[in-house]
Amino acid sequence: MFKFLPYVFKGLWRHGMRTFLTAGGAAVALFVFCFVASVQEGLNRLTDGGDADRTLIVFQENRFCPTSSRLPEDYARTIREVPGVRDVMPVQVWTNNCRASLDIVVFNGADPQQLRENRGLTLTSGDWSAFENRRDAAVVGASLARRRGLSAGDTFSIGDLSVQVAGVFTSPVAAEENVAFTSLEFLQYTRGLDSAGLVTMHEAYLTPEADPDTVARGIDDALRAGPVATTTRRKGAFQASTLSDLVDLIGFAHWLGFACVGLVLALVATTTVMAVQDRVKEHAVLQTLGVRPGRVFGLVVCESLLICLIGGVIGTAAATAVLAFGGLAVGAEGVTIAFRPSLSLAATAAGVSAGVGLFAGVIPAWHAARTNIVAALNAA
Amino acid sequence: MALVEVRGLKKAFKKGGETVTPLDGVDLDIYEGDSVSMMGPSGTGKSTLLNAVAGIDPPDAGTITVAGTEITSMSRTKLADWRAEHLGYIFQTHNLVPVLTAYENVELPTLLASLSRSERRERVELALEAVGLTDRADHLPRQMSGGQEQRVGIARAIVMNPTLVVADEPTGSLDAATSAQIQDLLVRLNEELGMTLLMVTHDSEVAQLAGRRLQLDGGQLIELNEPHAAMPSPTSGVLAA
Repeated sequence: MFKFLPYVFKGLWRHGMRTFLTAGGAAVALFVFCFVASVQEGLNRLTDGGDADRTLIVFQENRFCPTSSRLPEDYARTIREVPGVRDVMPVQVWTNNCRASLDIVVFNGADPQQLRENRGLTLTSGDWSAFENRRDAAVVGASLARRRGLSAGDTFSIGDLSVQVAGVFTSPVAAEENVAFTSLEFLQYTRGLDSAGLVTMHEAYLTPEADPDTVARGIDDALRAGPVATTTRRKGAFQASTLSDLVDLIGFAHWLGFACVGLVLALVATTTVMAVQDRVKEHAVLQTLGVRPGRVFGLVVCESLLICLIGGVIGTAAATAVLAFGGLAVGAEGVTIAFRPSLSLAATAAGVSAGVGLFAGVIPAWHAARTNIVAALNAA
Repeated sequence: MALVEVRGLKKAFKKGGETVTPLDGVDLDIYEGDSVSMMGPSGTGKSTLLNAVAGIDPPDAGTITVAGTEITSMSRTKLADWRAEHLGYIFQTHNLVPVLTAYENVELPTLLASLSRSERRERVELALEAVGLTDRADHLPRQMSGGQEQRVGIARAIVMNPTLVVADEPTGSLDAATSAQIQDLLVRLNEELGMTLLMVTHDSEVAQLAGRRLQLDGGQLIELNEPHAAMPSPTSGVLAA
């Protein structure tokens, strides 16, 4: 079969424009497919990630936007005493946009020491001491830094906030790379927040043996007597609930991904059918020379596969590059979903391309292989 | 023993509600080294018989045995293998693959055999040399004249040194001068290279080149001259195995 590869390539080349347009269509469709899939993957990482079940979020009852949740900072002491809680980190959240946005900027104010212990952040530039020693210092997630063109030493201002970038970090949780961390006091005393002694939420980290739901109930029970009632949920559930509107949209976009696959299938199948119809006589000649029907089938499928793979690889590569270097994220109410490329995503896209290419070629290839040789030779 | 034995071959098809029977129990023996031409008016079944012998148009009844192998009961795949090994087919309109060079077109049948690259190259170069087109090896069909294209088609038919070469109106689409060149080439194939040739033609001049001339009429074959003795198989020459 490999001996016939030059014939296959030349077959594609002979209708260069048609091949180019079809591969281009496949590339665009696979680009969209990768984007949609990366959003889905980002959501899955957020809601199913390692810390999604082992961290609890204590939020003000019946509140959703970070600006409306105002809990006493000293709730941390009460929460820490609930059995199963290993540590508690009060967090003040500030966001430039509570609604769904593609350029959401989220600041989390927290104790720098607790941040280092609980979040597993790795600085890729700058240093922690600058962050710990300067009140208006911030460490910025790599995606946010990329999107906003920030690096260590820069001043970053947005709204009433102005911080010095002490470093850029990466995180095992992709979505955190869209966040900037400052000290808790800095955000509490930011003009407009007026949150001295108040925080947006408490993050409770659990001991290994603790049951998250039991601990969550325990926390809410313990704080019931306090001035502000709370709702405590697993971090994954909290984020899924916060992003519920987006989750519905992402679920819809999922179908868009399938539509892209269907589009490629139709496009490549049409091109392959046209190629086979153009070459009915040629395939009959090949069979007259002694090429087996099965090999003619293989040659046609190979053409279809190649067109689809070429387009798929280009589209996937372009999507991977944009996802890797674009620092894109979508978020709402202070929670972000990171668009990240991944090997599994690229492999899935390549697999989809190959599968669609094979499938699109089957029927035209069958016709080419089963053609009546004499009738095809006599065709004009 | 005949190289090709056709016995009781029948083929009928519907045409405008009427059943036409171009082959009605045809018998034919072709011996190794024979050069056979078939003439007859259009629609008498000459090409049908040729295509049946070539294994690309199965008959309704009867048997065809080539070099001791009965081909009428073979599957499509087996027939393809058989054609690759035993048959050279010269088309009326050469039917070259337009995106392949002359060399690559002639190379196509060799790709089906277990030959090394150098063995393939040797065969292709010999075949192109035999048709006098060595200098056109890198040309695409569109860069060649009709006669040159037909010579490439002939080189493709003989490159695997087949048991039998069939030609369907090999000069049918050519002008008189080019037709004469192709006629010379066909004579050489048979007389110098010893290839067994069965061709269909309208052209009585082309038909005269063959040692045996047949006419198909009313579904039956008629010998127009006495068959000459079978020619010896090639033991030397550019395309001898």
